[in-house]
Amino acid sequence: MDFEFTEDQVSLRDAVARWVEKGFDFSRRHALAKAGGQTREVYTELAELGLTGLAVPEAHGGMGFGAVEAMVVMEELGRGLVNAPYAAAALITPTLLSAAPEAVKANWLPRIAEGSALVVPALQERSARYKLRHVTTQAVSGVAGWMLTGQKSVVPAADEADAFIVPARISGNADDTTGIGLFLVEKGAAGSTVTGYATQDGGRAGELKLANATATLITEDGFALLEQAVDVGIAASCAEGVGAMDKIVAITVEYMNTRKQFGVTLANFQALRHRIADVKMQLELGRSMSYFASLKLGEAGPQRRRALSQAKVQLGQSMRFVGQQCTQIHGGIGVTDEYISSHYFKRLTMLEMAWGDTLHHLGEVSDRMQDTAGVFA
Amino acid sequence: MDLQFTPEELAFRAEIRQWVADNLPKDISHKVLNALRQSREDMQRWAQILGAKGWLGYGWPKQFGGPGWTAVQKHLFEEECALAGAPRIVPFGPVMVAPVIMAFGTPEQHQRFLPGIASGKVWWSQGYSEPGSGSDLASLKTRADRKGNVYVVNGQKTWTTLGQYGEWIFCLVRTSHEGKPQTGISFLLIDMKSPGITVRPIITLDGEHEVNEVFFDNVEVPVENLIGEENKGWTYAKHLLAHERTNIADVNRAKRELERVKRIAKAEGVYEDRRFRDQIAQLEVDIVALEMLVLRVLSAEKSGKQSLDIAGLLKIRGSEIQQRYSELMMLAAGPMTLPYVHEAMEAGWQGDFAGAAVCAPLAGTYFNMRKTTIYGGSNEVQRNIVSQTVLG
Repeated sequence: MDFEFTEDQVSLRDAVARWVEKGFDFSRRHALAKAGGQTREVYTELAELGLTGLAVPEAHGGMGFGAVEAMVVMEELGRGLVNAPYAAAALITPTLLSAAPEAVKANWLPRIAEGSALVVPALQERSARYKLRHVTTQAVSGVAGWMLTGQKSVVPAADEADAFIVPARISGNADDTTGIGLFLVEKGAAGSTVTGYATQDGGRAGELKLANATATLITEDGFALLEQAVDVGIAASCAEGVGAMDKIVAITVEYMNTRKQFGVTLANFQALRHRIADVKMQLELGRSMSYFASLKLGEAGPQRRRALSQAKVQLGQSMRFVGQQCTQIHGGIGVTDEYISSHYFKRLTMLEMAWGDTLHHLGEVSDRMQDTAGVFA
Repeated sequence: MDLQFTPEELAFRAEIRQWVADNLPKDISHKVLNALRQSREDMQRWAQILGAKGWLGYGWPKQFGGPGWTAVQKHLFEEECALAGAPRIVPFGPVMVAPVIMAFGTPEQHQRFLPGIASGKVWWSQGYSEPGSGSDLASLKTRADRKGNVYVVNGQKTWTTLGQYGEWIFCLVRTSHEGKPQTGISFLLIDMKSPGITVRPIITLDGEHEVNEVFFDNVEVPVENLIGEENKGWTYAKHLLAHERTNIADVNRAKRELERVKRIAKAEGVYEDRRFRDQIAQLEVDIVALEMLVLRVLSAEKSGKQSLDIAGLLKIRGSEIQQRYSELMMLAAGPMTLPYVHEAMEAGWQGDFAGAAVCAPLAGTYFNMRKTTIYGGSNEVQRNIVSQTVLG
């Protein structure tokens, strides 16, 4: 039982933090967001730092690092408000590809590791909300191979991606957990179209429409892997949230210590002092549960799912409270586009809805309830 | 970073679990697990069983006869005791005054006071709060005037928990009016059999006698009962507050009580009610998050880092959760918590109102738990302290 980071993990954190400090200041971030949120050039810089190979096995040109390293990187990307699709492409996609035939791995993983290929998960369907088993995109096997028909929404960096990992139904009904295959669809594949758009939080996403689109099979029985990959995504969004909360709290504390009203700094007002204490509480509960999320990723399915849902409930609540209250403490400046804290607030807001919001995961915890509970239960 | 206890720690846990299973009297754990009224004899019996094993002072270093356990071992001991339904160790002797005597007392004071605390034979009480000094403790007025070889103590202490059983009381008393309020306070050990001491019960809103007022009318206290130096008592009291930081969250008891929430919800037919069950799920998440917070503090202590700024959060969160589980238990039983039958909280009571065995203590416990966000520095005072560490 130990929550200290190794020297290597501290070095990794420092490397990301240094890159943010030197190369990703707010004016650059703001300009990218204003231009539509396309960040492929940023992703390439992350690749040059070696980060895109973090979760790719060494055998395929990556570093094969674990959940704690991923958490460290995500915290720093959150702190820097980095709007590149790192978690999706560098953490979730390698998980989804872990079941792929060797030829598919050999074709894609080295390029993913070096960052030359941006492969993103395209999981969301319009009517699914957070229900992973709700897959209506159809997969049909024919003489020309697999073909997919359906639509995936809010696909990260859709119009910048080189390929998509797509769950599609091979058999059964829309909500069956069996019969869900995972497929890889390349950009520009016959029968596929992509429409991109900016996102609320300064990033980029899009719609992937598939009409008998040609696809490569990863696995015909993909649901368990889909759950695992989403849990990787949950842990990543928890860690990113911690970094973003850390930073918005620091910004708010500085503001409280400098902004004067009624002749004294805001830090003199007990109503605001208590508010920032409550913010600190939510931040640290969130950080604790982000650790919990990453450290539970290696457990067996049911325990892992329960733990990740517990973590996302806490992070969802923490991120919403911290974002809202830090905005409130700032007063008017906090709701302007030119001021940095509003952008953290927007990212924290959207992170709550990434991979299941608070109510969804509270329901998961409720459904999975046992007689006993606790960190080791 | 990892979430596993070491094999040695797990072996330690197993040893404690077995020992508690073998030595905790069933009649006592039955009362604890069902929130029935515990007698002085119950609490004292368990304290003396622990004392005989050398574990009542489970946080003590070896040089004072304690087991010299690490922070993690102490946590595991607390957890095993709590989950098995052991009474909470009455903290005033072994947890609160003993570390002060060890750190600031003379060798004579060590020999005189520590054995009685370690064995559980002597019941200690705490004399801090006064009618005019609650959260603002340093404003206390109970005075001790030096006259030859004695201090003459006059004044009043209040909220003295279980003071009706007390044999000794450690008090903060005013010995000087010079300078800041904090600088004129001394730390005095007082024999409660001394002439001039009167203990009067305060009945709390649950109808129970848990706290007391203690009056001092020209009570003579030998000067050798002063701890450390005159007028330095505030410093010693702060040392006391710095002890046992993680235990204050009481997360182990919360885990046990969460199980009880579920048992009661099942018995009362609301466990399958989606809206009620989600409330339990929320409490479960809150408790796991608190436990992680506690483990982070333990991990920092283990690696010798004292400056972790989250310890101040533990009291706030822990007390909120105590209130929440007592609230949920009461809400689970709903209308059946209405009857107030004082005897129903006695073990073995054969009442004849419906649901008596489960429901009788629930409202009382809920009312009683309102104290947790008030005592030990109200949660508002705790927020002041947290904001100080955040804002600098």
